[in-house]
Amino acid sequence: MNILIQELRMGRKTLIIWCISLIGVLSLFMLLYPSIASQLEDFQRVFESFPIEFQQAFGVADLELASILSFYQFALMYVLLAGAIQAMNMGVSILSAEVREKTGDFLFVKPVSRNRVVAMKILAVLVQILITNAVVFTASLLMVTLLSDTAYNLKLFTLFTLSLLFIQIFFASLGLFVSVFLRRIRTVLPISMGVVFIFYIIHLLNETLNDDKLGLVSPFDYFNLTEISMNMNYDSLYLLLWFVLVGLFTFLTFKLFARKDLPSI
Amino acid sequence: MNVIEINQLTKYYGKHRGIENVSFSVEEGEIFGFIGPNGAGKSTTIRALLSLIHPTSGSATIFGKDCIKYGSEIRRDIGYLPSEVFYYEHMKVKEVLNYSASFYDNVDTSRIASLAEVMNLDLNKRIDDLSYGNKKKVGIIQGLLHEPRLIILDEPTGGLDPLMQQTFFELIRAENKKGATVLFSSHILSEVQKLCGRVAIIKDGTIVRVENIRDMQKHNYKKFTLDYKGVMDVQHFNLEGVTNLTVNENSLHFLFKGDINRMVERLQGQYLLNLLVEEPSLEEIFMHYYQKEEKEAQP
Repeated sequence: MNILIQELRMGRKTLIIWCISLIGVLSLFMLLYPSIASQLEDFQRVFESFPIEFQQAFGVADLELASILSFYQFALMYVLLAGAIQAMNMGVSILSAEVREKTGDFLFVKPVSRNRVVAMKILAVLVQILITNAVVFTASLLMVTLLSDTAYNLKLFTLFTLSLLFIQIFFASLGLFVSVFLRRIRTVLPISMGVVFIFYIIHLLNETLNDDKLGLVSPFDYFNLTEISMNMNYDSLYLLLWFVLVGLFTFLTFKLFARKDLPSI
Repeated sequence: MNVIEINQLTKYYGKHRGIENVSFSVEEGEIFGFIGPNGAGKSTTIRALLSLIHPTSGSATIFGKDCIKYGSEIRRDIGYLPSEVFYYEHMKVKEVLNYSASFYDNVDTSRIASLAEVMNLDLNKRIDDLSYGNKKKVGIIQGLLHEPRLIILDEPTGGLDPLMQQTFFELIRAENKKGATVLFSSHILSEVQKLCGRVAIIKDGTIVRVENIRDMQKHNYKKFTLDYKGVMDVQHFNLEGVTNLTVNENSLHFLFKGDINRMVERLQGQYLLNLLVEEPSLEEIFMHYYQKEEKEAQP
């Protein structure tokens, strides 16, 4: 427990900053809604005049901008992107920080096993992800409800917003695996930004290519918002794949870290 | 009973040698010195004992238990002070020490205040505001706080001023009197000499020898200094048992081990300005081990 509390205390500031940023990104888009809601049909027509590949790449194909959830879907994509970076950051740094900040000589000579340390740290990441999601969910629910004149589909809203949780857990576990796999990590942000953007670009590419196999590569495709709005559910195959990969990354994190040498500074 | 038993411990970092076939044991209640130059493998040995690194081959036991397999259990009774200390920068000294204490059962946290008083350390400062020496004090307190049965010190005195070193040695002696076993690694012989009963000498990753510190000093080595005028035939003194032969302006230095009468014979008929025969310091004996050929090192 003491490790968990310590980790949460150390991550507190960063978590607050990220939560504020995510709400910022969301409100930046959502607050545009009232002022342009009346003109949205014109926007729609402008988008429709673009080539279909272009529409797909920007995630505006099949978009009913006039409905609040379609607009929310558009805004949420950027929250997912930022949230993925936040989660990957946490994953990469939480174990490697002990090596980078050279505090490993303190923590790992304490009477706790490596596995326990890893478990506590993963738990700390999970708690922070849950807090982030609770904050984002509450904020977006408030915004969507306040901005919408008519009723909207609450189930679809929930499916949309919960995809942040799944994507964050995926990137956190990937980050953990990367952090024990790489020998020495000097800076975290370039790694997590790089990886997340590569997956995001693959996702954008696949919006135009619509290749099922390519879809397996990017976790953003597992929770494709357009697909979700059409099927009113998550894709069970992708959900299974998500589960397997998260499990595998977590297992390998435990395995590799238990064997890892912490050489002197 | 042996508190530490190291058996043919070997560690390679890839192809790079860490230590090779290190074996020695530390008995309960002793202060055991571990000396060798930088890069000889002292830290590697200690980090393997703490299961911070995994040995390539060989094994080590602490309190009779394998130190990899029962690592977390053993570490309950170990206090460790690394050569360089790093703590969570944004925390206060007090918070770090309380966090450290939270890992052990039945810690007397009033010791934090009393140890801080002895070491003259401000508990309310933030870690990143501390000087190197003060960080070291935090390390000493968190190493001794839970009254460990085994204290492992890896070049602990760096950054401490001589007065504080004295205080630190007194603390270690007090813990030792209460029954704690101490493994003290250093490359400074005078401090090992002050504190330790037995000592293991490590060089290039292998143990050169384990010796009683008194025996080591009492070894029949004599340090000769001959001052002369003009020219002296250096080879005249290069007989068996002479080592570290150096000429320095008009004086000749060497260590001699063997029948003293043979040296007296050689000295006859030499015109000397001065002759000095002394007990060598531990430093010189050590340098002697250190420079020796491998085969000579094991008599």
